[in-house]
Amino acid sequence: MRTWLFVTFLAMAGASGSVAQDAKTPAAPNAAKQESSCILCHKQLDGPALEPTKHLDDIHMQRGLSCHDCHGGDPTKGGDEDPSAAHDERKGWKEKPTRLQVPLFCARCHGDAAYMKTFNPQIRVDQLSEYRTSVHGQRNAKGDSRTAVCIDCHGVHGIRAIKDPRSKVHPTQVADTCARCHSDPELMARYGLETNQATAYKTSVHARAIYEKGDLSAPTCNDCHGSHGAAPPGVATVAQVCGSCHSREGSLYRETEGKKPGLNLSPAIQCVTCHDNHAVHRPTDEMLGIGSKSVCTNCHGPEDKQFKSAEGMGRAIQGLSARLAEANDMLDRAERAGVEINADRFALRAGQNHLVEARVLVHAFDEERFMAAVHEGMGSAETALTAGERAFSELRRRRMGLTVSLVVIAAVIGGLVLKVREIERDKNA
Amino acid sequence: MTTRERLAAVQEWVEVRVGISQLIEMGREKKVPLHRHSFWYYMGGMTLFLFGIQVGTGILLLLYYRPSSGEAFESVQFLMTRVPFGWLIRSIHSWSANLLVFVLFLHMFSAFFLKAFRKPRELTWLTGAVLLALMMGFGFSGYLLPWNTLAFFATQVGTEVAGRVPVVGEFALRLLRGGDQVTGATLTRFYGIHVAILPALTTVILGAHLLFVQKHGMSVPPQVEADAERAGKPLGSYPFLPNFLLRDAIGWCAALGVLAGLAALFPWELGEKADPFASAPAGIRPEWYFGWMFQTLKMLPPHILGFEGEVLGILAITLGFIIWFAVPFLDRTPRPGNRVTRAFAVGGWLALLYMAVATAMVYWPQ
Amino acid sequence: MNWFLGTSAGAMCASVFYPVIRYLVPPDIPEAQTSQMVAGRDGDLKPNEGKVFAFGGQPALLIRDEDGGYQALSATCTHLNCTVQYRGDLKQIWCACHNGFYDRNGKNISGPPPRPLDSYKVHVVDGDVVVSKS
Repeated sequence: MRTWLFVTFLAMAGASGSVAQDAKTPAAPNAAKQESSCILCHKQLDGPALEPTKHLDDIHMQRGLSCHDCHGGDPTKGGDEDPSAAHDERKGWKEKPTRLQVPLFCARCHGDAAYMKTFNPQIRVDQLSEYRTSVHGQRNAKGDSRTAVCIDCHGVHGIRAIKDPRSKVHPTQVADTCARCHSDPELMARYGLETNQATAYKTSVHARAIYEKGDLSAPTCNDCHGSHGAAPPGVATVAQVCGSCHSREGSLYRETEGKKPGLNLSPAIQCVTCHDNHAVHRPTDEMLGIGSKSVCTNCHGPEDKQFKSAEGMGRAIQGLSARLAEANDMLDRAERAGVEINADRFALRAGQNHLVEARVLVHAFDEERFMAAVHEGMGSAETALTAGERAFSELRRRRMGLTVSLVVIAAVIGGLVLKVREIERDKNA
Repeated sequence: MTTRERLAAVQEWVEVRVGISQLIEMGREKKVPLHRHSFWYYMGGMTLFLFGIQVGTGILLLLYYRPSSGEAFESVQFLMTRVPFGWLIRSIHSWSANLLVFVLFLHMFSAFFLKAFRKPRELTWLTGAVLLALMMGFGFSGYLLPWNTLAFFATQVGTEVAGRVPVVGEFALRLLRGGDQVTGATLTRFYGIHVAILPALTTVILGAHLLFVQKHGMSVPPQVEADAERAGKPLGSYPFLPNFLLRDAIGWCAALGVLAGLAALFPWELGEKADPFASAPAGIRPEWYFGWMFQTLKMLPPHILGFEGEVLGILAITLGFIIWFAVPFLDRTPRPGNRVTRAFAVGGWLALLYMAVATAMVYWPQ
Repeated sequence: MNWFLGTSAGAMCASVFYPVIRYLVPPDIPEAQTSQMVAGRDGDLKPNEGKVFAFGGQPALLIRDEDGGYQALSATCTHLNCTVQYRGDLKQIWCACHNGFYDRNGKNISGPPPRPLDSYKVHVVDGDVVVSKS
């Protein structure tokens, strides 16, 4: 059954391959041709000429493509130590493409929807047109061979599927792959670009999600900048880019557009103003307010009326957070001491929900809405604290019960002592 | 028939079948010697009283406890928070266990220093020593049952020590843990040990111990005997019933008060549910009465003369216990002037001092 | 003298037995609800409606779908532990804090939640909706 399926696959691939050949694209994939004269000869060579034979686990190779499917020539010839028979230009042999030619070279297949469909019906074929929108692609088209082309990120021979963790474009590898160029001061100096992005990114909450928690859905370079269409996000669209994951914050922020002209005055003013771009750190409640870690005071001085708002909002959210922690601690202690408080934990959870809500509402820049959430949270915190108080008064009641029983026990002891004396006095008498 | 007559008839009925008055008479005739060390005679009764409390509260706890890793912690939590007075029963059980071991130590050391083990009371001493081991077994197995983090890791460390014993160690470890690791299987096993195996053994040994005490009566320390002889005055005494029993009852009431106070003022905490995959928290220590052994093993260097230090430590402690068991047979004729007797007295004080210091070191802030 | 001793001893016995008897009387909830509990009566919820209830000290969500079947899930959002709710209008589970959505099976489908919600088993026994873990 499996063999049959495999044969069918080969037949289908072969059929479409012959169609593709008419369209000046490489020949059909054929697994049987893997041990071609190309590999037999190149294995005996040194240096760059040996290199391609080392990567037999290349994704193309695995899918049944071989050297000549990209490079042309005749893989059946040349075994008699006559390389020119294999490197036959009449059979489509071409010298290796220059860096400027690489995108087109790859796009011969990767831009051909009909052909690519034979491997994976879902695969995208717009990489080249995407690439042409990127700074890399535009410069490449203008003859700058230093900007990134396909092979800089995907590798030349030994290309792996994106979901393979060894792939240079796997989410855990992307930052390092980009950094190979973007952290190179000499190269970046030519374009007037900074080189600290990767280092900064590695400190961010996003990087921690990927590298420490293994959450591959967390963003790395290409999630904000695009993969093939890599470009700095347009400054006007920062909120859109961040908002594609942080949807609630994004939509709250965009609601302010037009209503609060101050907020979209300068292109620099958006998410990155407070959260930074690459070094996005885990936000804290201290970012709000006028303390040393405040981001509000980066723009607002004591003479602004916003300064006062910031002070109030900061105090409110830190107060709520502290109050909830206090209530939590109190309930913990009560629980350890053996008082039932499960129902009260729900009030506490409600308070914590309001705290999270308030943290989100900061992005609406609406003091009233923010304060309303904080007040609701405070209400829940107070409920939980009252419950904690009740728990402790329960404990005090237990002590009352203890006191009563101790009095009773003391009375018994007193009685016994008197009784012993009575008995022994009788005897002595 | 008047009520009084009816009551008398019932009394008569019971009397014929049970013979209470005979028992009472026996109690009245049984004499307890009266001298300057008489205070220590109360320790045995106190231990027995606390053991009774353990049995009572233990049975009550059984009604709600569930011995599986998925439910043990939750059932204790439920017991402490939802069941009326559950917190009290559990706290008393835990506190009483600790007081019991403490009083047991007092009882044992007083018997040791007052030479109560000498002929014909060797078996009383031996059964007592076995009871000590059983009580420590109760403590060790009971500690795990609430399935909290501290208990889990203390059990891991404790059974690990058993595993270090040469030859039989690995077998003992697997036998105790019910597998290679401390798991829910260990919990179920410890539960069985705690509520069935140990109580059964204790019933037998404790019965024998009490029988021997009853048979031989209270031992009078040789020093006291000698002093009385020199003074030419017979030792005073008073009847067990009612004098001694009433005094005992005073002590029991006091113990009850102390327990109630400890339970209400310092309720035994539940801690956090054990997570076998979490890394061990800082400050793991066994129950205090294992502290000195724990500290001894901790202080030993890893290697002594080519042997593993810990193994030597375990062997030394085992040897110590064997000597302790064999005391009546080693110190056979304890008289005030005897050299062996004096050596044992000094040895006993040194052992006590060492245990006190090592235990203190466990709790000393680093 | 004896009268005093008797009374106080009696009082002491009472103070010992009162807690014991109270202890023996089963509490309102007969067992620790860790792995199984009754979340409500069948029919309390209308079709396409959900409710949050406490399950072992944690919030859980019970949803009734249109054909009368039940779904029970943890109601703790996998993002920042807010409590989620069922939105009948969207037929989805929604977390208000950051606009996270899960489908009715608890699978995270949009917004920040990184993982699906834990789901529980539901059985209807004698008209009681019984929710159980694993």
